[in-house]
Amino acid sequence: MRSTTREGVTGLALVLPPFFLLIFFILVPAAQAVLETLRVERSGQIVYSLARYVEMFHTISLRRSVGFTVMVTLASVAVTFVLAYALALYLRFSRGWVSTLLGALFIIPLFIPTVIASFAMVTFLEHHGYIATLLHYVGVEDTPSLVFNATGIVLTEVWASIPFATLVLLAGLQGIDDALIDSARDVGAGALRTFLAVVLPLNAVATIITMSLLFIGILGSFTIPYLVGGNAPQMMSVVMTNYFTNYLRPDISVSLAALSFVIAGLAGAAYVAGVSRRERGAV
Amino acid sequence: MRKRLRIVHWTTVLIAVVFVFALGWYGIPARGQMAGVTLYISGDTNIQEMFDKDLLPLFERETSVKTKMVFLEHGQGAEAIVAKIIAAKRTGQQTDVDLYETQPTFIAAGASEGIWTKITKDNVANASKVDYNRPEVLVSNGFGIPYRGSSVVLAYNSKYVKTPPRTYDEILAWIKQNPGKFTYCDPQTCGSGAAFLYVALYKYAKAEDFSGLTYDQAKTAAWEPALQLLRSLKPNIYNNGFYPNGNVAVLQLLGRENIYMAPVWSDQGVSYLDQGLLPKDIKLVQVTPPFTGGDSAIAIPVHAEHQASGLMFLNWLLTSKAQTIVVNKLAGYPGIDWKYMPKDVRDKFAGIAQNFSPLPNAKYQADAKRLWQEKVAGSGQ
Repeated sequence: MRSTTREGVTGLALVLPPFFLLIFFILVPAAQAVLETLRVERSGQIVYSLARYVEMFHTISLRRSVGFTVMVTLASVAVTFVLAYALALYLRFSRGWVSTLLGALFIIPLFIPTVIASFAMVTFLEHHGYIATLLHYVGVEDTPSLVFNATGIVLTEVWASIPFATLVLLAGLQGIDDALIDSARDVGAGALRTFLAVVLPLNAVATIITMSLLFIGILGSFTIPYLVGGNAPQMMSVVMTNYFTNYLRPDISVSLAALSFVIAGLAGAAYVAGVSRRERGAV
Repeated sequence: MRKRLRIVHWTTVLIAVVFVFALGWYGIPARGQMAGVTLYISGDTNIQEMFDKDLLPLFERETSVKTKMVFLEHGQGAEAIVAKIIAAKRTGQQTDVDLYETQPTFIAAGASEGIWTKITKDNVANASKVDYNRPEVLVSNGFGIPYRGSSVVLAYNSKYVKTPPRTYDEILAWIKQNPGKFTYCDPQTCGSGAAFLYVALYKYAKAEDFSGLTYDQAKTAAWEPALQLLRSLKPNIYNNGFYPNGNVAVLQLLGRENIYMAPVWSDQGVSYLDQGLLPKDIKLVQVTPPFTGGDSAIAIPVHAEHQASGLMFLNWLLTSKAQTIVVNKLAGYPGIDWKYMPKDVRDKFAGIAQNFSPLPNAKYQADAKRLWQEKVAGSGQ
């Protein structure tokens, strides 16, 4: 009994520093910032109102930016997910040197700084870049614009996100017992049926975790949209920076940040649901 | 025994290292004391190189006053330096900043604190060659003296543009007649695009209303027709309204003949032509009303440690000899009037050797860039 009390105290002492860090350096400033966006001066008096948010939604460029951000994020998550899942499946079920080689190669983007990757993508995709030159050789003259627009951002985000997504998905897939797959095969299920009925449901937790973390990561990413994106519409992170530093309107910037909190919160809820489902499953 | 020897050995090494470091620490302030004048300079690497390699060695040779330069790359920390000078003034101490070269708005920020020396021909003889109506002097509240400048000018490809526009309105007409052959960079990424925007704003509102120190957000309402005008140009801009990021991207489009006309910085245009990065057919010309320009200015704190040396350096910098170095190195404008420059320098810059429009103050600049993003680029077709 006494030893459990002591353990409890030690545990609490270990948990407190990060807890206070979270409270005082993240939660309190965030709450203050959100309150600040609601505080408006009206004829000399401070009142609480949604005026800033109304202004934000009346500004066409900001409205478009929010929509653009969500669309680009969803598209990037979807494409990353499809490619990473295929890669993870291949690495999980295939044996041989190709699979080993791929297993080593796919993590490379994880070790390349985003700034460098973004500049590489620009030179690769731009008007007279590598892709355009290749297409020129096979006779395609009118290359579509691949960079400084949504396409460029999605391509670069996908490139940068694949390693992480594949790693998490692969970890989930490796937790599936071979016996389950073999027994599905034994009762006559084809590859697709096995995937849909056994692999996909058993890997659902890893899938939810991957998708929600990818969503939050891409939603808040700055370097890639800043370097690879176009003038307009811009992703919210870039717009926030512009309003904060270039346009001297930090209030709009914080309001936008609050809005992105809400959007990221939705993905966060999915993550929490996914994790708690895993824990309940483990019990 | 052996162990003790090793301890002695390591202790010796440690002492030696500490000693060397102590010397290094001691050596830095020691050199500072020897320096006759400490210059705080800001700008891009080309400015740093010009001071390091050309101006400072020549000044030291001619005057045998030692110089020490603190360089603020891209003006980073410019505000902190002003704060530091103000703090020294308030506590009644001297400051090690003997001369501060920065954006005029930062000089203006310290003007009300009385931290700057008024520069006239009495304390800096060559100040008489400076036009005190230059935007740098006005924006800095009269305390900043220009020593370099550059302006945005119009670059056009004479192979395709036979009769270049002479006025801003003629540029607008040309853009509509030649769709897809003109662009300007996103104003928040570069000064040349910003100049194109500001001159449009000045078309409907007086430049003087925005270049001073006062700020009233309501005044920006006068910009609405200009923003609508720029928005209406969008379908005729290169690639259906593509505004590149940065000055260099525009120069590259001109170089590849993707576009035939664009606003560019005079200094960058001239240096690109010199290096052969732009075809010889590209010509630079200033239009009426002129594009905006203006650059940094120099101010000298009243409580500078070596104020006399600071004033002496400024006076030297305004001689036609030093100004010729500045103009040639930066391909920009001199701080003194063109008429005091040697004839060969004036001839080289004949197309652009005239005045430029003043920049709006920092707050109006921020508003203009935001409104451009909201109403021109971000508004959809």
